[in-house]
Amino acid sequence: MTNQPKRNRPSGFANPWLQLALSVLCVLVSELLLKCGANDIADPSSVWSWTGINGLASPLVWLGIAFVIASFLSWLYVLKYIPLTIAFPLSRVVDILVPLGCWIFLGEFISTRRWCGIALVVIGLALVAKPVARIEERL
Amino acid sequence: MENTQKSGFRNLRFISRVVGGIALMTISFFLTLGLLQRFDLSYLYPFQGLSVIIISLMAAVMLKEKLTLQLTIGALLISAGIVLVSLS
Repeated sequence: MTNQPKRNRPSGFANPWLQLALSVLCVLVSELLLKCGANDIADPSSVWSWTGINGLASPLVWLGIAFVIASFLSWLYVLKYIPLTIAFPLSRVVDILVPLGCWIFLGEFISTRRWCGIALVVIGLALVAKPVARIEERL
Repeated sequence: MENTQKSGFRNLRFISRVVGGIALMTISFFLTLGLLQRFDLSYLYPFQGLSVIIISLMAAVMLKEKLTLQLTIGALLISAGIVLVSLS
């Protein structure tokens, strides 16, 4: 895959950088939708709900699944034009966007300790993203 | 990828790996859905950093990748962050 000559970058909707941003947004939206859907059909008392299968009863969950598929297809397209060692570290911005989205859209209470933990994870991922992308290219 | 052009037996191994991967991802998805019914997303989401650590550890073992200082420090930061989140 990495031996292919880089094609001329298309513009407009097909621009791979735009698709990268869209892929990240789709992941963010899908995570929020899955959480909303899970909240809707939550049944903490039942043992079966640990398997998560009852989540399929919520339309929000199905919409979340659709966004996951969309983000994955977009990601495959991005990787045709942008090397994984660049695309993967950039995509890690979603790890900041998701907790922010939880705070803004879902109104979750995030204690200082949790913010610190999230910050450490984000810094660690930023450090590690490029080497891991190199490893994944070998796979 | 070159393996898929060789004999049918190698093709079967490739397909079984892809199917195995998809099966594991499906199981992971449903378990996450079950967990989301009980915990906040901001609590669960940082744990995905664990998968990055596991990838680098397995790469060190199976692909003989070097565990550079950058990787080790990053992995330690991620682990510390996850411990903090789990305590919050």
